[in-house]
Amino acid sequence: MLRTEGLGARYGLFQALFDVSIHVGPSEVVALIGSNGAGKSTLFRSIVGSVRVDPHSVRLNDVPIGGDSERRQLNRGVVMVPEGRRLFPSLSVLENLQLAARNGRQGQWTIARLFDELAVLRPLSKRPATSLSGGQQQLVAVGRALVANPSYLLCDEVSLGLSPLAVTDVYALLRKARVGGTSIVLVEQNVNRALSESDRFYCLQKGRVVLEGNSGTADRTQVAQAYFGV
Amino acid sequence: MSEPAVLSAQGKDDGGTKGWRVSAGLPIAFVAVVILLAMLPWYADFAAQRLLVEVFTLFAIAFAWNMLAGYGGMVAIGQHVFVGIGSYSLFAISNTFHLNPWLALPVATVCTATAALIFAGPMFRLAGAYFAVGTWVLAEIARIAAVNIDWLGAGAGMPLEMIGEFDRWARNAYVYWAALGVGVGAFAVGAIVLRSRLGLALMSVRDAEAAALASGVPATRAKLSLWVIAAAVTGTAGAVSYMSTLQVTPDASFSLNWTASAIFIVVLGGIGTIEGPVIGTAVYFALRETFADFGAWYFIGLGSLAVVTMIVAPGGAWSVLARYANLDPFGIRRRTPGDPSASHQSPSPKQERQ
Amino acid sequence: MAIACETLIDGLLLGALYALFGLGLSISLGVMRMINIAHGDFIVVGAYLTSLTMQFLGLQALTSLIVVVPAMFVLGWLLQRLLLNRVIGGGMFAPLLVTFGLSVIIQNVLQETFTADTRSLQAGDIAQRGFELGSISIGLLPLLSATVAVLLFALTHLLVARTHFGRQSRAVADDPATARLIGVDDKNFFAVVTGFVFAAIAIASVLYAMRTPFSPSAGPERLLYSFEAVVLGGLGSLWGTLVGGLVIGVAQLFGARISSGLGPFFGHLVFLLLLLARPNGFFTRAAR
Repeated sequence: MLRTEGLGARYGLFQALFDVSIHVGPSEVVALIGSNGAGKSTLFRSIVGSVRVDPHSVRLNDVPIGGDSERRQLNRGVVMVPEGRRLFPSLSVLENLQLAARNGRQGQWTIARLFDELAVLRPLSKRPATSLSGGQQQLVAVGRALVANPSYLLCDEVSLGLSPLAVTDVYALLRKARVGGTSIVLVEQNVNRALSESDRFYCLQKGRVVLEGNSGTADRTQVAQAYFGV
Repeated sequence: MSEPAVLSAQGKDDGGTKGWRVSAGLPIAFVAVVILLAMLPWYADFAAQRLLVEVFTLFAIAFAWNMLAGYGGMVAIGQHVFVGIGSYSLFAISNTFHLNPWLALPVATVCTATAALIFAGPMFRLAGAYFAVGTWVLAEIARIAAVNIDWLGAGAGMPLEMIGEFDRWARNAYVYWAALGVGVGAFAVGAIVLRSRLGLALMSVRDAEAAALASGVPATRAKLSLWVIAAAVTGTAGAVSYMSTLQVTPDASFSLNWTASAIFIVVLGGIGTIEGPVIGTAVYFALRETFADFGAWYFIGLGSLAVVTMIVAPGGAWSVLARYANLDPFGIRRRTPGDPSASHQSPSPKQERQ
Repeated sequence: MAIACETLIDGLLLGALYALFGLGLSISLGVMRMINIAHGDFIVVGAYLTSLTMQFLGLQALTSLIVVVPAMFVLGWLLQRLLLNRVIGGGMFAPLLVTFGLSVIIQNVLQETFTADTRSLQAGDIAQRGFELGSISIGLLPLLSATVAVLLFALTHLLVARTHFGRQSRAVADDPATARLIGVDDKNFFAVVTGFVFAAIAIASVLYAMRTPFSPSAGPERLLYSFEAVVLGGLGSLWGTLVGGLVIGVAQLFGARISSGLGPFFGHLVFLLLLLARPNGFFTRAAR
């Protein structure tokens, strides 16, 4: 169980998160919904170690892990797919994957397995990673996180800028990951997709959790209110 | 990491950028100090005057470096080229036209400014580290050229012939006043520039160049103005400094040590702040006068101080002081109205853990 | 004609040494975006270390590499781990002043320990030997230095292109924040990189000290040549640094032919003119 308790985070003088408490269980898919600036990316960054927070505000299986380095979180199985894909231009597709695989944990997700699942990428493996199409890059970005064999995969806006077909491919991959036992936390601007792909959801507004619930029984009107702050 | 103190948005709502805090007592104190200093030749000996000439001229050079690097974002490792050009201009013009050195001084300033304009053509095509190294190479070229030009005295340099016309007291006093003028002038110029539209333009370019350009800020013109102003200040300070030593040589006037000392002063005091160079100069000379007898150990201490300061207080001494006393004596900090937590800023990457 | 050829060859051989000076700088600028002002001073440190090794262990100049290279690696590793890691990422001024302070400390410590006199290494008769290629004579030591330089560049290239360490370097150079996300441990990684940089400096310093007398204040000039090689070649390009160094070497020696003593002057002039023609250096890193 990955849990945040009363998490607060700031950038200098600016406080981005206030008293955020969420939890994600094994093999769960949880959606984070909110408009720009609500604090979704900051929450991810706080969990994964890019933003320093109080050690007890983030717990993995009741062990306080807040504020630890990204590398340590990676080794614990908490991995993020960053917004904007952020593949390394000086590395090929294969090299991007090799880097993460070598640094991450061993498990069922090997590079070979990834290429089996995503056959379209295999002929492109030697190409510079950023020369691929947006959809293909997103698949590589998710794959790069997968080959570290995470228990908790945090996906920040993976459908941004992608064609509907590409988005389908990406979510198909995520579903496969979930089947393999990985929990997924999704940040999604598209509320419908967020709710249809997840078990539970949280709505963030100006750094606070303003709504949470079961995705299947979510009241769209309530969600819209929480999203827009109306 | 640590933004220069100038950037912090204070929460006070005082009607926008015109709400600069100006304490009334400060300008009076400032003027009193300047007057006291101006009267120095009547109550201090020649050694003290010569020391203060060094203090004021180095302060001016450091201040100019601070303007360029801290506000203009231009790190010029070769800034000392203007020390050389300023001092050689002064000596050459005074000697050739048998001109009173103090009358030649403004001419030297103009020469240095002109040189800066010419250098800007090539130098402004470079950016960042390229610009830094390019200016350094430029200074080296100037130095070697001066060593090889016989008309300028080649390696041995030139004396300031016309200075013999003045008696000792007059010579020391006039050079001292020139130095005081340069020091105060540099500070005044800096304060004026920073509170002007040029200052605003520079800071916006420093913070976010693309956004500044998109908002119509004439970035290149602003940088050019700053470059020329900084060069003029540096050249004048250099000229006055060599008026005091009476001999200009290429290895001394084009020496990297000028810029090295300036960098030390600025970063120790606090880069990108107007108060930093004041503190830095004070510390620099306090250390020098106390420990210079220790020779190499003095320099080792200085270097160690630089290292320790950067680890413990990257914003320099001023950032430490300002934090504890919330000081803004010269009214430079800009305050934005409104509550910072309501603003929708994207977090800047520098603020995150490293 | 023969003189021009000989000057060209000598210039290339000298330039290869300058490129070797620049290799370490190129790596630390590219991977850690750090300007190490004390880079040239560490080359001088390596020279003095070699001198001591020869003196106290009775080794030849080239054999002492066995001691000097690992020693410098450890020095670099410690320096990064204990000191420089604290100032990376804090803007460009903090590393600038820290390494500037180091430069001052090093020059003065060397002066206190060894006096300001110049000294040279006993290079043995390798420094005297040479051979004739037609009417052109080529020194054995310069040829050896140049060969070592090129080999080291090739080795570094392989390291960067084929190994995990190299992939991490390229990733960090591209995007340090995301590199952290996929598990690059900055602190240790940077320490190893700096260790490698110092090992390269060690090799450069031995070859340099074998052919040129050195003194505690020789650092800044080495730094300037290193910088010129790196900047001219283009920041982020490894082979660019080699080309940059060769150009500077050739320019300097042709300049010295025209007027002895003005070698460095012509080197600087050519540097500036070429940089104006290509403000980002000859070979820039691939577009993002």
